Amino acid sequence: MHELSIALSVLDIVRTAAADSGLASVTVVRLRIGRASGVQPDSLRFAFDCSKEGTVAEAAVLEIEEVPIGGRCDVCDHDFTSREPYVLACPLCGGASFRVTTGDELHVLDLEGEP
Amino acid sequence: MKVKVVTNILKANTRLAEENRRELHERGITTINLMSSPGAGKTTLLARTIRDLGARIRFGVIEGDIQGTHDAEVIAALGVPVIQINTAGGCHLDANMVQSVLPELPLESIGLLVIENVGNLVCPAEFDLGEDAKVMLLSITEGDDKPLKYPRMFRECEALLVNKVDLAPHLDVSLEKIRADALGLNPALKVFEVSARSGQGLEAWYAWLEGKLRR
Repeated sequence: MHELSIALSVLDIVRTAAADSGLASVTVVRLRIGRASGVQPDSLRFAFDCSKEGTVAEAAVLEIEEVPIGGRCDVCDHDFTSREPYVLACPLCGGASFRVTTGDELHVLDLEGEP
Repeated sequence: MKVKVVTNILKANTRLAEENRRELHERGITTINLMSSPGAGKTTLLARTIRDLGARIRFGVIEGDIQGTHDAEVIAALGVPVIQINTAGGCHLDANMVQSVLPELPLESIGLLVIENVGNLVCPAEFDLGEDAKVMLLSITEGDDKPLKYPRMFRECEALLVNKVDLAPHLDVSLEKIRADALGLNPALKVFEVSARSGQGLEAWYAWLEGKLRR
């Protein structure tokens, strides 16, 4: 729902990093997005493409690496990783109380571009 | 040419939230981020809390809404300093919006700042505003399936007010299921069953709130 504000934050980070490293044009922006971050990759791509015009990232494509949800169960004390978009219970024992250990990520990893 | 960045996309928000938290703490202010779906009763609960505790606690309020000033007018009528933020379509408040209105509040005379977030069970949970505690309100008319449908909100909060319990006899809703599912997601959650309309259960909420005060 708020992918537009996320896309604008990505563009801010890209603009600063491109200026710092002397890139005149950015061609690839690589992101890491956890499945528990609440950000939908397709919506983010759409918002990014709508917002990039007239910026250093005008020709950039987003490459998104998705991180599955991982957790540590408070009931059986095991670590788990899930392929599901939402995790409501430990897939090992069914316990509903667990800590999310991976899947909250929302990072710009790196850029590619031309000087 | 490849350039390493490795920057948290929400870093800008987190930095501003930390600045807000530091300023509010230096002034001895406790801040609550109040969240719920539209219509759960945030403003009714807040107005009632202000009426009941206003003699003991110096309140300040930030109202977040997509548009309009209805909620701010309700709070202003109680004689409490209030600022309305209109997000103009935005689905949540962020730390920058809060920071930009803090100078408009008489912070030197506020002990408890309540930020009433935009009504939404999804996005507000993801944005730190600089609060001390996130508190959510769930009205029982929304149904007892909500904890398992919106788990992140229930995981992020310190306290859950289950509101409109005076309507329980008219609804096929299980208060036990709401409590059990919410505690399953977040075993440390404080759960209060209340009616902001009748006043039922509010004493326990008030005691929790007063325990959060710095001055």
